[in-house]
Amino acid sequence: MIEHKIGGEMLKVENISLSFGIMKVLDDISFDIKRGEIRSIIGPNGAGKSSMLNVINGFYHPQQGSITFKGETRKQMAPHVAASHGIARTFQNIALFKGMSTLDNIMTGRNLKMKTNLFWQALHIGPARTEELENREAAERIIDFLDIQAIRKKPVGKLPYGLQKRVELGRALAAEPELLLLDEPMAGMNSEEKEDMCRFVLDVNSEFGTTIALIEHDMAVVMDLSDRVLVLDYGKQLADGLPDEVRNNQTVIDAYLGIPHEQD
Amino acid sequence: MIFFIEVVLSGLMAGVMYSLVALGFVLIFKASGIFNFAQGVMALFAALTLVGLMEKFGMPIWLAIIGTIAVMIALAWAIERFMLRPLVNQEPIILFMATIGLAYVLEGMGDILWGSDVKMLDLGIPQGASDWMLDSFDIYIEKLEIFAAATAAVMVTFLAIFFQKTRIGRALRAVADDHQAALSVGISLNTIWVIVWSVAGIVALVAGIMWGSKSGVQFSLSLIALKALPVLILGGFTSVPGAIIGGMIIGVGEKVAEIYLGPIIGGAIENWFAYMLALAFLLFRPQGLFGERIIERV
Amino acid sequence: MEHDTALDTFPKLLHSHVKLRPDQDAIREKALGIWQSWSWAEAATEIRALACGLASLGLKRSEKLAIIGDNRPRLYWSMTAAQALGAVPVPLYQDAVADEMAYVLDNADVKIALVEDQEQVDKMLEIRDRCPKLEHIIFDDTRGLRHYEQDFLHDYEKIQQLGVEFDHDQPDFYDQEVAAGSADETSIMLYTSGTTGHPKGVMLSNNNVIITARNGIIREGLTSQEEVLAYLPMAWVGDNLFSYAQSYVAGFCVSCPEDATTVASDLREIGPTYYFAPPRVYENMLTQVMIRMEDAAKIKRDIFSYFMEHARKVGVKILNRESVSLKDSLLYKLGNILVYGPLKDVLGLRRTRLAYTAGEAIGPEIFDFYRSLGINIKQLYGQTECMVFICVQPDGEVFADTVGTPAIDVEIKIDDNGEIMYRSPGVFQSYYKNPESTASTKTEDGWVHTGDAGFFDDKNGHLKIIDRAKDVGKLNDGTLFAPKYIENKLKFFSFIKEAVVYGNERDFSTAFINIDLDAVGNWAERRNMAYSGYIDLAGQDEIYQLIKDCIDKVNQDLSQDSRLGNSQIRRFLILHKELDADDGELTRTRKVRRNFVGDRYDILVDALYSDRNQCHVETQVTFEDGRTGMLEADINIWDAAIYPVSAVTQDAAA
Repeated sequence: MIEHKIGGEMLKVENISLSFGIMKVLDDISFDIKRGEIRSIIGPNGAGKSSMLNVINGFYHPQQGSITFKGETRKQMAPHVAASHGIARTFQNIALFKGMSTLDNIMTGRNLKMKTNLFWQALHIGPARTEELENREAAERIIDFLDIQAIRKKPVGKLPYGLQKRVELGRALAAEPELLLLDEPMAGMNSEEKEDMCRFVLDVNSEFGTTIALIEHDMAVVMDLSDRVLVLDYGKQLADGLPDEVRNNQTVIDAYLGIPHEQD
Repeated sequence: MIFFIEVVLSGLMAGVMYSLVALGFVLIFKASGIFNFAQGVMALFAALTLVGLMEKFGMPIWLAIIGTIAVMIALAWAIERFMLRPLVNQEPIILFMATIGLAYVLEGMGDILWGSDVKMLDLGIPQGASDWMLDSFDIYIEKLEIFAAATAAVMVTFLAIFFQKTRIGRALRAVADDHQAALSVGISLNTIWVIVWSVAGIVALVAGIMWGSKSGVQFSLSLIALKALPVLILGGFTSVPGAIIGGMIIGVGEKVAEIYLGPIIGGAIENWFAYMLALAFLLFRPQGLFGERIIERV
Repeated sequence: MEHDTALDTFPKLLHSHVKLRPDQDAIREKALGIWQSWSWAEAATEIRALACGLASLGLKRSEKLAIIGDNRPRLYWSMTAAQALGAVPVPLYQDAVADEMAYVLDNADVKIALVEDQEQVDKMLEIRDRCPKLEHIIFDDTRGLRHYEQDFLHDYEKIQQLGVEFDHDQPDFYDQEVAAGSADETSIMLYTSGTTGHPKGVMLSNNNVIITARNGIIREGLTSQEEVLAYLPMAWVGDNLFSYAQSYVAGFCVSCPEDATTVASDLREIGPTYYFAPPRVYENMLTQVMIRMEDAAKIKRDIFSYFMEHARKVGVKILNRESVSLKDSLLYKLGNILVYGPLKDVLGLRRTRLAYTAGEAIGPEIFDFYRSLGINIKQLYGQTECMVFICVQPDGEVFADTVGTPAIDVEIKIDDNGEIMYRSPGVFQSYYKNPESTASTKTEDGWVHTGDAGFFDDKNGHLKIIDRAKDVGKLNDGTLFAPKYIENKLKFFSFIKEAVVYGNERDFSTAFINIDLDAVGNWAERRNMAYSGYIDLAGQDEIYQLIKDCIDKVNQDLSQDSRLGNSQIRRFLILHKELDADDGELTRTRKVRRNFVGDRYDILVDALYSDRNQCHVETQVTFEDGRTGMLEADINIWDAAIYPVSAVTQDAAA
């Protein structure tokens, strides 16, 4: 029913290898993400999924390979630079500003959208004030979008887990990213919360046209949401393709889905 | 009764002085989790620089103040570049040790640049007793102390708005809360550190001016940093209003104890009373009066 | 306020406000964290565009427009827009599942459905096959609907645009349609759930709604300056009265909450002067307050309980304008500054001059809590069939167990079976397409059967509701026997968890009691009484005495009523087990199944009507894990105190 337009290549990862000491976390990974698609990365624990996201947004610097984002190729970039180029993310273990309110968390997400300098900020007048109001409105739109009006002023550290995940998504959306990296957005949620989150992911993708890279364990969710799926296992690339192709790929079944070979 | 009020008021005013130093600690601790041992020395260094610029280069007051602010910002930049950046992701204790080193460096630098003799600092801040208070209420208060209190009030209001309502304020709090998350929304840690240390430097300058005006700019100034410690324990390490109120409680407590308990147990209470109070607090309310309750959801 | 016959429809009322108070706020909504408001003039412009848009979709006189969603200005406007065309708005409960909606949409012959969002659109799409008469669906919030491409789906704003063009082409159309509206046309159709069978569509005329709304305003002295929060379902008659009809008649502003989850904080921000809530809302608010006080510092708790105690003593008197001593009055004023005021602020009720509750019995202690704070909370008795008002408690004459005196223009009579009947200008036209039900509810000369049994209280002439008429029986001497009424009185005591009262076609009343293990256990512990569990505790003489005291009080209460006086409880026993839904003794909604319990424990019932003081009983019980076992006990039977019944002092008020 919902159709979104998938465009050209937005991000291209070529021959990335990453190791910590002698441990090889990613081994010669290459794939691409197209503009407007929902791209899932799956694999068992320790497969290197989160590391892959960390490479994309600049937390980790790979020893080999290159990343091309929006036509610019580079070996590594600092996280705040990645953010300023339009990459936002959420974390596997929620990384919110726990002492701050939901609204402040989302406003902080708009950090890069706000430009006035320290001088005006310090006085809290003139352009800084106008800017603050404009961005407040943008933040309120996100609050409305995610249905979290009731917790606008609550410190996020006190919120239940499912809501924290939602606020974290809100903070990432606040940056109006072109590429959104979601690291297990539904982990630890009950089925109702999962359903809500799925709807938000789809809505973000279709309403704002945001490209999404998603790590998720729930196969039903992955198969439902994704346009294409990349499968990693022990840092190696196992398969890459449409959800149906991946589901029926024998190597993937053997390594990951755990269904034994049919007798030939 | 009037005498008691006088004691309390002078305690309050002295407390504000402690608060000014404690404020610098809080800023840096809040934003980076570093306990900056050098905060006291920074106040001394700022005051020395101010006096030096006026005396050696004959600058007018306003220019000297601007010049000192510039020096403090440059200092913050240097600290970030040469101390914090190489030590990023180290244990807090390592960073604490680094600030001890910093304290010695600054002390030495001040000595070399501006000499080690006691200097008078005269910025034209009114001195002597406030005639108005004396006339109307028969209470003796130093004008300087009133001035210091007013300055502190302005500064705290300013900082509170800055922290709560502005982008950079939010970014500061964000960095304090979660480094990784702050990075992911495009906050540059390096920039934030420079800003925090600059602001702490300016706060140090204000503290330096106040203390310097009161008792001359001398190296013992750096020791007031030790008085800030109990203030922090009382007020909480992360609370700006806590630093102010903690300072006042210590100030008043010291003075009242000195005057009323002193004769009984033999004086010099002022030297250790603050630490006793802090110890009591550690036992009963370790997060301080205004410290953030540790919010953790299991 | 005279009834102006020229203002006999809502669109006409709207235009009178546009003339009288064009710039005053008509409706507000919190969106994106800010209260947005529309003046009467702005609202009228919106409504005109929407009405013309609906006309261009083909909505005609007496056709139906379904309205489904949370309280939103646009949904309220759509009511007026439909009424402007002479069409009939039919609001539906927004959280009903698709199947329930299908019945109503089909039964009401709905032509267009105007719904809030994607969730509702999805429901409409699901049931569209079953509702062939439904031609168009209009949605307010476009979120998630971007890729829906069905041609019968329309964006609200598109329809308004169509309307503006339509209005431009036929500039006289709207005014002519409004002028053609009349007092006797159906104004709105509201579905009542009813306990059995399908919901019925209650058709109310413009006169029904407007005259009743105006009478309510006159009786309570409401003005155009009231503040009201519209937060109850739009499909419920109360919301239609309080947040729509009375707003249009009096001209006050109605505010819509940001979201169903933010009602509490929106309430605080709006500070309504006029407020309705069902008893459970008041109950929840009180619980929240108590929980917060538990967590507060000791000093705060002490101040709170000191002043609340004082309020309990004099608050209600002060509210009723009775005289209290100067000291009490001053202390109450101090309490108002320290406790009552801030508390009312937190609850959002600081400015509330009039608060209503209705629907079910409200616990007297909850009722008194709010009244003692100075909040004028009153009970009313009403039905959809007459646009709410049958009885309202008059100011200063508020009793926990009555529903007050008849509302303006309402006549009430009690028929021979004790059933309450009424006649009023608000009495509905008929049930839609259901002449049988209409005939069985409404008599030829306009009297309506309420299905409730009750009588006018001897002392104050207020109406007292005792039970559903079908559940009321008679003792052998002809005294009315209202078991639920007595059971509710018993259950207001915290020690009594459940009570089952018998007496129909017997000589006197008797009762089974279930003690509340928490409350009684706590009471026992404070007296250092040892007990091993429910059975043990329930059998102790001290506990029997405790319960007897409660029953005596109820009896004393009953003796005040000449009609119920003889149904005082003569004998009672405390059951050896807690009534349990797993054993079929309670329904799943925890209502006692009186007859089932009577059959199951027939030995005990017989013993109550004998002269024995003890009875042995064996019961099969179901444990939580599904196993069954036998429970044996010797149960004591006690007599309660019986009070002389007061004589009839006045005849039933007419």
